[in-house]
Amino acid sequence: MSDPWENPDDEIKEMLDGLSKKFKGGFNFQRGAVLIAFGAVFCVLGVLTSMYTVEPEEKAVILRFGRYAVTKGPGLHFKIPFGIDRHIKLPTERILQEEFGFRSASTKGARTQYEDKAFDEESLMLTGDLNVADVEWIVQYKIAEPQKYLFNTRDVRKNLRDVSLSVVRRVVGDRRVGKVLTTDRVEIADEAQNLMQEVLDKYDMGVRIVALKLQDVNPPESVRPAFNEVNAAKQEQQKVINQAKREYNKVIPEAKGKAHETVNRAQGEASRVVNQAKGDAARFTSVLREYKKAPSITRTRLYLETLEQVYSKFESMTIIDKGVKGLLPVFGDPAAKGAN
Amino acid sequence: MDNSKTIPLLLAVAVGLFVFRSTAYKVSEWEQAIVTEFGNPVGEPVVKAGLHFTLPWREVRRLDRRILNWDGYPNQIPTKDKKYIWVDTTARWRIENPLLFIQSVRDEDGARSRIDGVLDSVTRDVISNNNLVEAVRNTKSAEVDSAPAEKPKVEDVRSTKADDEDIDRKLEKIEFGREVLSERIIDKARDGLAEFGIEIIDVQLRRIAYEKSVESKVFERMISERLRVAEKIRSEGQGERAKITGEIQRDLLEIQSDAYRKAEILRGKADAEAIRIYAGAMNADPKFYEFLRTLEAYKKALPKDTKFILSTDNKFLNILRNKE
Repeated sequence: MSDPWENPDDEIKEMLDGLSKKFKGGFNFQRGAVLIAFGAVFCVLGVLTSMYTVEPEEKAVILRFGRYAVTKGPGLHFKIPFGIDRHIKLPTERILQEEFGFRSASTKGARTQYEDKAFDEESLMLTGDLNVADVEWIVQYKIAEPQKYLFNTRDVRKNLRDVSLSVVRRVVGDRRVGKVLTTDRVEIADEAQNLMQEVLDKYDMGVRIVALKLQDVNPPESVRPAFNEVNAAKQEQQKVINQAKREYNKVIPEAKGKAHETVNRAQGEASRVVNQAKGDAARFTSVLREYKKAPSITRTRLYLETLEQVYSKFESMTIIDKGVKGLLPVFGDPAAKGAN
Repeated sequence: MDNSKTIPLLLAVAVGLFVFRSTAYKVSEWEQAIVTEFGNPVGEPVVKAGLHFTLPWREVRRLDRRILNWDGYPNQIPTKDKKYIWVDTTARWRIENPLLFIQSVRDEDGARSRIDGVLDSVTRDVISNNNLVEAVRNTKSAEVDSAPAEKPKVEDVRSTKADDEDIDRKLEKIEFGREVLSERIIDKARDGLAEFGIEIIDVQLRRIAYEKSVESKVFERMISERLRVAEKIRSEGQGERAKITGEIQRDLLEIQSDAYRKAEILRGKADAEAIRIYAGAMNADPKFYEFLRTLEAYKKALPKDTKFILSTDNKFLNILRNKE
């Protein structure tokens, strides 16, 4: 880790160099003027090196001779110059983000670009049933306590990454691959976030995890087609079932209608039979009443009328006297027929 | 101003600064320092941050007071169940005893190589004495217990939900789990490193991965498992379809036969009714009914092209012959 602040030794050396130059150069002039000029330069340098600005999202930690003195909020501040006070600015209000399994290459423009490279080493992990899942996630955090952040651990970002890699694996390792890929996403993120915070609190790192979010959670690249195959199978299953249901819907309502038709027609026929019977019976009863008044003559009349009707219909008729015996009528001979 | 006063003044300032520079030293919040005199440590280590003074010929050696990282090389280790895996560990440590630290390992690089030695071997011991699942899973989770309970459900073909997407391979039981293994590594390493003034704070199993050749085998297994599941889903679909087709047949026959039954009942009742009505009316004079109905039948039953041979011995022709 490089020193983010100025080196006081160099500063003093520079000043001494400048002082001696001025002293030599001004030997011929009046010494008073030289001293005044020297003093002025000294003062200007002092003021310039003692001023610093803290941006709105930042806080500045002031160290006096290396010892923590005070924490300042946003604005223009002064400190004791010449390496006595040091200030370290930290973006405490900003939400910082770490990415695992992928990297955003650029966030400029309308759409974030991601690097194509796969970070398999980070994202491939074992699940509880000893399968492999490809999990990508982000961790968002804030510097909650600047002092702890600066003084308790050396490389905060690395600690955070190490812990996150380990914790997410631990949480995923407790689940089956099917659940990791589908239902348990939110649960995994919550559990991992809590565990991470727990571990980081153990280091007393002064960092608060704002969110841990799972991004893409996939089966490993080469297994993906097989997983898609399962999804395709599900669709196919639905399709087949829908087809069968369609067939059902096509056949059954029609059959129900036809059944109604059959029953109704039978009902109609039944009415007809009964009505016919009633009609016939009524007619017979009426006829019988009148017949009883003159049975013999009516009987003969009806008989003769019927025969008249019946015989008149026939194409040909042969009448044979009852006295003639042994005569064979000749059929199919029109001449014979005519003769008779 | 006077020349004779200025130069001594400047000299005095210069000497003052020199003395200050050579005796004063500062210790930052994240540092601790040890003061040595010709190589021998003098006094207690300085842990309080701020400005301190010492004698000019004494040397001040600064050490970090913060928690430091240690990054292990990924190691290929066989587990107890003979699975080759890559184990990537990382640890956090701090210099707990600066004096001991300086005496035994000099600086952080020295410390790192000592930690390498201790942690690598301890990790190897712990991992190779346990099955792979112990390093993967943490809790003796409820899932293990619930797995057998789910089993009877497998017979129920209808449960086509997310659950049975998993092949019902039982999860292996674990005895200790990941955290316990980490703890063991820490415990063993702690003793080994205390003599260097180093305190191990924790060890994280950052990454556990299958060795490449094993990995491809695992992928193959995953693929075959998925295909098995896909096949099962498909055949369940076919089964469902057969079921519905059966239902169609059943409902169709039921509906049709039901209609037939209803129709025949209606017809039967009507016929019975008709018989009753006819019988009721005709009983008044069965002979006459027979006569009437026969005549009616003649009219209807004898077709037009009937060839008829009549004897004059016929009631109709009686008069034709006898003229009386």
